[in-house]
Amino acid sequence: MIHFLLRRLLAAAVLFLIVLTLAFAVVALAPGDPMAPSDPRIPPEQAERLRALYGLDQPLPAQYLRWLGAVVLRWDWGQSYRTGQPVAELLFDALPPTLLLAGAALLAQYLLGIGLGLLAAFRPNSRLDLSVRVASLLVYALPTFWVGLMAILILAVGLGLAPAGGMTSAAAFELGPVAAALDVLAHLWLPALVLGLSMAGDIARYTRNSLIEFQATEAGRAARARGLSETRILLVHGLAHAAPRLLQLASVSAPLLLSGAVIAEVVFAWPGLGTATLLAIQSGDTPVVLAATAYGAVLVIAASLAADLLLTRLDPRIRVE
Amino acid sequence: MIPVVAMRLLAAAGLAAMLGWGCASDIPRDTTRLTVGMRFEYPTPNELIVQPTLGHKAITSQLLLPLMGEETDFREGPPSWKPALAETWEFSEDRLVLTVRLRPDAVWSDGEPVTADDVRFTWQAQTDPDVAWMLSYAKETITDVEAVDERTVRFHFSRASPTQLADVAPEAVLPRHAWGQRPFADWRSDPGWFFEHLVASGPFVLENRTPGRELVLGRNPDYFEADLPRVERVVLRTAADGAMLTTQLLAGELDVVTGISATDAERIEGRPDLRLHAYSNRQYTFVSWNTGRSWFTDAATRRALAMAIDRHAIVDTVWRGYARVGSSPILSDVWAHAPDLEAWPHDPEAARVALGEAGWSDSDGDGILERDGAPFRFELATFAGAAARWNALQMIQADLRAVGIDAQPRRFDPSALLPRMLGNDFDAVVSGLAIDTSLDLHPTFHSESIGGGHNYAAYANPEVDALIASFANRLDPLDGLEDLHRLQRILHDDQPMLVLWEALTLAAFNEELESVAPNALSPLANLEEWAWR
Repeated sequence: MIHFLLRRLLAAAVLFLIVLTLAFAVVALAPGDPMAPSDPRIPPEQAERLRALYGLDQPLPAQYLRWLGAVVLRWDWGQSYRTGQPVAELLFDALPPTLLLAGAALLAQYLLGIGLGLLAAFRPNSRLDLSVRVASLLVYALPTFWVGLMAILILAVGLGLAPAGGMTSAAAFELGPVAAALDVLAHLWLPALVLGLSMAGDIARYTRNSLIEFQATEAGRAARARGLSETRILLVHGLAHAAPRLLQLASVSAPLLLSGAVIAEVVFAWPGLGTATLLAIQSGDTPVVLAATAYGAVLVIAASLAADLLLTRLDPRIRVE
Repeated sequence: MIPVVAMRLLAAAGLAAMLGWGCASDIPRDTTRLTVGMRFEYPTPNELIVQPTLGHKAITSQLLLPLMGEETDFREGPPSWKPALAETWEFSEDRLVLTVRLRPDAVWSDGEPVTADDVRFTWQAQTDPDVAWMLSYAKETITDVEAVDERTVRFHFSRASPTQLADVAPEAVLPRHAWGQRPFADWRSDPGWFFEHLVASGPFVLENRTPGRELVLGRNPDYFEADLPRVERVVLRTAADGAMLTTQLLAGELDVVTGISATDAERIEGRPDLRLHAYSNRQYTFVSWNTGRSWFTDAATRRALAMAIDRHAIVDTVWRGYARVGSSPILSDVWAHAPDLEAWPHDPEAARVALGEAGWSDSDGDGILERDGAPFRFELATFAGAAARWNALQMIQADLRAVGIDAQPRRFDPSALLPRMLGNDFDAVVSGLAIDTSLDLHPTFHSESIGGGHNYAAYANPEVDALIASFANRLDPLDGLEDLHRLQRILHDDQPMLVLWEALTLAAFNEELESVAPNALSPLANLEEWAWR
């Protein structure tokens, strides 16, 4: 197990290094000058001074080595061209909201997906089953930004069931801990639901198929022969049978959730990594774009690793080689 | 068992949050507080170490006052100034020395008086190479700032110029006793340090900050205007997408939103509880024809292009009327705008005739004009990200195609296109500029600004150069009015750039608010006077 873990960690480190190098190459080789002054009054010498300040007057290999060294040795991603803030600090502020949103979306996705899958499996090929299957495909096909906008217009602006956007109410720093947590929850449920919805269809279909498949197995038939109720068979034994596959889905959905979070964050004005990345891309803030790409890669690699490890614990049929 | 209990608790909390939010809308309005939505980033209150933006400036000026504030009377005459930290000011007879008296009642929020030393310290920071302030060029003619006594400060100039007050007045005066502890060389390494050592001289102090989300400004009890601000607290909220701010305004979560797009304005127009306010932002969008390219070498062709493009249709369609067709880079609501200047009319027939006279004809019958065997086909570039501008480009493409010109719109990342513009390495480009109150056209039209400067069109006209120099040398801008009028007429005839439209900025606010009057200088202008009725 330890060897497996070390091997995976080493592979992850190599992959991370490749992502860093590719990201740097793509950004550095793109034409342009992030320090070109857009204000006609700013003299060219000022731009030169800023180029020197950010090390952009150095040859590209020297820039790369300096940047990589700072990242690997000190986790120093440089300073934002736009705001002057240390990038690590900027993304440190943005990371928790993204993790919260992605985590809540993952929860919503599994609760909804498993719930709907169970409903469908209770009555295979019934109208309910058909409805669940059609709905699953529909939510999978709809783009997150459109679902988000509709949810805001109907549930937030129309019915007032949720705030239209943001992570907290105005001046929420004054609230006590319980009120503040409820305030965040009130802002969280709608974007999490919208983000979770797209993959919930997949979970529902896998759950349904696994449960129906379980009923046909020897274990399923034995459970029925022992006189267990259908509910118990599906909820306890069936879900245990489906768990490894559902967990595998989590490793697939983690990258999708993170990329979806970028869109959901912008639509819902959620102040996370996606919003920070979008602002950086819009303004050519290269250090932030590079760091955000790397953070995304780290999150995806970590999620995939965690899912693999959990899988080996849950399913004894999988042996760690 | 535990997961089931946890799920139930979670569901209960979610329901409570949802219901709680539903009931929150019935709570009576807190009239001591205002919530404003605008797009901003505020990594530091120190304006010398960030890229200068209108949003940053607007917020900083609530906390740190300048010596003087610019008046918004652009229509009436050259820039004029109102006192802020300065009480009075006076030039010496040769205009090489400006003596400024500070208000006696101006104090920092920690109780320390605002002194002449603070003013001198500010100038030192502005001109220090380690601070590398983007706008340090504005201080070039100031040779020294002398603290005569606690309240008197003297600015010494190398030469007299019409922009002397503008060079001295508008930047925030910085607190020497608080920020002077940090060497200039370290200022850029930690912008957040200035929050921890912030003392305010303006109407507000910074109460709280949540990066990327909101700033909370509270009333400064030490502000010299005792009755201001009229509200106890202003919460500034931001979002990456402007449309979201409009949605939050419609949902009642925000009281004021600045910088609303013309498309979003439609959602507000019908609302009786909201008021829409459109104002000039002193910005214009233009198409610059590179006169170094064979298609655009002659003024006759460029005038024909101006007549081929239906700018009224762009203003009506893309901007839904919230813009004006432009006729000059000195905008129509600025005092020096030439009143007799008429925007080129949309007249495709006249454009075709003019193009024919300029030597263009469709000799091979493919629908595209040629001259000397070369087709009238060029790249029409613009910056990526501006949806309205891109829509306008499609309309321009169709208008030009109707007279036999093949313009091919393309979008570029700003960091890629801007260097090309500065190097005059493009065919035609659609971009935007804001006019400076000094009305100095040297950076955009003087031949010295070709190649590295902002004379994108590579336009060279000795008479224009002479008029720009003549205006710059007049101490009273009003004496140069004729120069500016003549200059605009030449540019109008030569058409190195076609001013497409003068945009208006839109702000919307709750009908029950009064004194909300954002303007071209600040989306938060006179914030201290905003209040609920």
